[in-house]
Amino acid sequence: MESKTFDAGRAVKIFGFVLFAYLFLGFMVMPCLNTLTSIFRTRNAAGEIEPLAVIKFFLAGTMPLFVWNSLKLAVCLVITVNIVGISIVLLTEYFDIKGANLLRAGYMTTLIYSGVALVTGYQFLYDSNGMITTWLSEIFPLMNKQWFSGFNAVLFTMTFACTSNHALFLRNAIRSIDYNTVEAARNLGASPFKVLFKVVMPTLLPTLFSLTVMIFITGLCAMSAPTLLGYNSINPEIVRLAGSSAADESFPQARAALLSVILAAFTIILLSVLNHYERKGHYLSVSKTKAKLVKQKIQNKAWNIIAHAYAYILFVIYMTPVVMIILFSFQNYPAIRSKMLNFSDWTFVNYFGTQDYEYMTSRGRLRVRPDSISGVFSNSDTVGGIRLSFIMSAIAAALACVIVVVAVSYIFKNKKKLRALLTESCLLFPWLLPTILICYSYRIFFNREVWYVFGNNLYWRENVRFLIIMAYTVTKLPFALRMIKAAFYAIDDELEEAAKNLGASPVYTFFKVKLPIILPSVLAVFALNFNALFTEYDMSATFQSSYGKTYAMIIQNMTMEEGREGYNINASGRRCASTVFIMIVSGIILYLVYGLGSRDLGERLESRIKWRRRFARLVGKK
Amino acid sequence: MIRLNNIFVKFGRFEALHDINVHVKEGEFFTFLGPSGCGKTTTLRTITGFTTPSSGSVLMKGKDITNVPVEKRNIGIVFQSYALFPTMTVYDNIAFGLKIQKLGKNEIDSRVHDIASKVDLSNEQLAKAVNQLSGGQQQRVAIARALVTNPAIICLDEPLSNLDAKLRVQLRNELKKMQHDFGITTIYVTHDQEEALTLSDRIAVFNEGRIEQIGTPNEIYNNSATQFVANFIGDINQLMPGITDGLFAEPLDPNKNHFIRLERIRVTTQAPILRGEGHEVAGGFPSQPSFEGVIESKEYYGLYIKYYVKVPGQTLKVIEKNDGVKIYEPGERVRIVINPADIMSY
Repeated sequence: MESKTFDAGRAVKIFGFVLFAYLFLGFMVMPCLNTLTSIFRTRNAAGEIEPLAVIKFFLAGTMPLFVWNSLKLAVCLVITVNIVGISIVLLTEYFDIKGANLLRAGYMTTLIYSGVALVTGYQFLYDSNGMITTWLSEIFPLMNKQWFSGFNAVLFTMTFACTSNHALFLRNAIRSIDYNTVEAARNLGASPFKVLFKVVMPTLLPTLFSLTVMIFITGLCAMSAPTLLGYNSINPEIVRLAGSSAADESFPQARAALLSVILAAFTIILLSVLNHYERKGHYLSVSKTKAKLVKQKIQNKAWNIIAHAYAYILFVIYMTPVVMIILFSFQNYPAIRSKMLNFSDWTFVNYFGTQDYEYMTSRGRLRVRPDSISGVFSNSDTVGGIRLSFIMSAIAAALACVIVVVAVSYIFKNKKKLRALLTESCLLFPWLLPTILICYSYRIFFNREVWYVFGNNLYWRENVRFLIIMAYTVTKLPFALRMIKAAFYAIDDELEEAAKNLGASPVYTFFKVKLPIILPSVLAVFALNFNALFTEYDMSATFQSSYGKTYAMIIQNMTMEEGREGYNINASGRRCASTVFIMIVSGIILYLVYGLGSRDLGERLESRIKWRRRFARLVGKK
Repeated sequence: MIRLNNIFVKFGRFEALHDINVHVKEGEFFTFLGPSGCGKTTTLRTITGFTTPSSGSVLMKGKDITNVPVEKRNIGIVFQSYALFPTMTVYDNIAFGLKIQKLGKNEIDSRVHDIASKVDLSNEQLAKAVNQLSGGQQQRVAIARALVTNPAIICLDEPLSNLDAKLRVQLRNELKKMQHDFGITTIYVTHDQEEALTLSDRIAVFNEGRIEQIGTPNEIYNNSATQFVANFIGDINQLMPGITDGLFAEPLDPNKNHFIRLERIRVTTQAPILRGEGHEVAGGFPSQPSFEGVIESKEYYGLYIKYYVKVPGQTLKVIEKNDGVKIYEPGERVRIVINPADIMSY
């Protein structure tokens, strides 16, 4: 008779499968399905269920306007971002423009300065009493001082905010062009511009197409810019409706659900088109010996001057908010309020410490409000927001990495099997849905006692933090999957066999051989996800809970508090300091990921030897 | 030392190995040779334990190891890519297997340094990352890692295939010397005939999952057992039917294919001597019959010259050692001398 032994490996597998199924069904399928079905569960005035009520309302009312506005923004954004994005890449990588390195650094500032920080920064400079608008209106008195509001403001801000992907991906694409093809075209008599449009641009088309689709989706799902700058697009309306009640207006929840589903439908269609296009393949260089691209000098003097002028105007547009925000973060509140730099008075109060606020009442009495002025790291609300964002982002980024590493390991072990395909599809599922749909679905579905979360209401008080962490994790899974899966492909099968041959168990091999190889990629994914989540606004704004006030929401609150007399008097200063803090955090993370993190063991050992030598020299000198 | 008995390996419907029988002797350098997809690596993987045979048995020192797990077989492997762990230093790569055996730190240290000195790796190189080493040094690390655990056999799976021609020749010699010094039983997989002939004590030639011939390099080359082996090992001429009609005392069997190696054909310009039977005998080769041809083209290799000689019915490839002999030019009329004993028929 066979002896029954406890199979630990099998037990772990079953536990893993059950947990994965629980998370996928409980935190992906159920909430989203609830949102979808809620559209058809609306009740009319008589209290009867009328499945098509909200659709009729949609067609008869003003709701299409939000869809139209989002589409308008998406289409315009595709045009403006591509114009600016392509031109900054051509100016820094293809044409010989003086000071290209400096220009590139300026154009890439949006990598460390984005989201709410960027929007509020632009607002600070360009709104009706903003520094630049004031300065421009002095030069052009007939200028409309309110130009930076609504659609114009959103388009202007997002145009410059969304070029980061061009700076990364299109730059890589242009750098991979074989220069021999350019030389061949020149040799056959093509002018530099003919070469650009007939040889260079066609090879960039696949990357441009992918970028265009992503920009379109970004425009469609825009949240922070329309909310802060006042533009009636889909996402802000969903958030507004989610917070509304049936007493105020007709079936707000179902309307929000319908808008979310419309957004999801657009996203799914666009991603399917992109997927189909990507499957058709890219133009790959057939060169055996690729020549490095040599920058093209613009021979025509007039065009050369125009190109240089254009490059530096863009540089000024990119850099002005960054420089101004940094400078103003060291200014005191009178200077910030008047938006005039005071070069004789610099302060750290926007960062550290507190200060009394002295003011004159309408009756002419001098009043003092103790410690009313406080810096980022001395203001309990801001520090609370930073702490909460830090913890939630770190947990979610780590969770996403752990889930994906385990899942990809499983996928690779079961290559070409249905279960691997299913696991991968489950992890990619959130990619098809706009983040707003996921968050909205969570907010509505878990705002009651749900049996499979032990009868808890996850939207209640501090529980919402768990919900936000789950939403953060879920939305970051597809990105983590794509990156970490690519890293797993880099592991040679023979490494695993070599370890096995030398006696290593699968667990030992995973931790000692495989994990160290993929670790740089996993840490990069962690860092990039953390970076995005730390200043994330869209999701926390959708949850709209005072127990889930993230750093970005605190920054947004500062914007709202600025106008009020005597209340949070240095909110603008603290906001500038907050933006600088975000730039520093993002800068450090990007340096760790792309600078230190991209080094292999050999480079690390060489660097260690160099440091030892330097240290030895220093000690020797002493 | 190691014996494969009637090994069959099937992947689904595909039969990768068909009735493989091999006996590798103690201390022998044994090579599995064959084209891509012929089953040589599958055979190696069956020996190492990565592939389980559908039927048959693997014996090591008389003990059946067919179902013994990879890590318990005591067989060292040098992979095609070397499979060096990129996140570890050279030292850690070599020490990997010893750490798993949970040996003491001092013991590990002494064994790593001992094997490193034997394969000519310096202390400085031990502290380096593997990607800081050259191809040859990486190969030595892979061999050291495989040998440090004192395996009974070492298996090398095309370890020279990723290297350039010059380095390949250099490392081939080093490999042979190392095997000789260590005296370890070695199983070597390659598709390169030259590598197999220069390195091996014995060779097994594989084709479509079967072994065509096992023998010493000389046996394989000069007495190829099958047409496949004759064709696969070195360059060869297939003699077209009728080309030797009336040339030899005993005519060639018309039901067989006939082959002759390039260096076995001789070229001369000396006038033939007519013998009693009416056969021509070329000058300088008194007992061998000859026939006429025209030099079509020549390739100069320095050490030897390769001629393409047009004879009635076909073009023959001929190699002449470049040791001061006359060099023929295209268009020149020559006589081709063939010894019937050099013809291989299948």
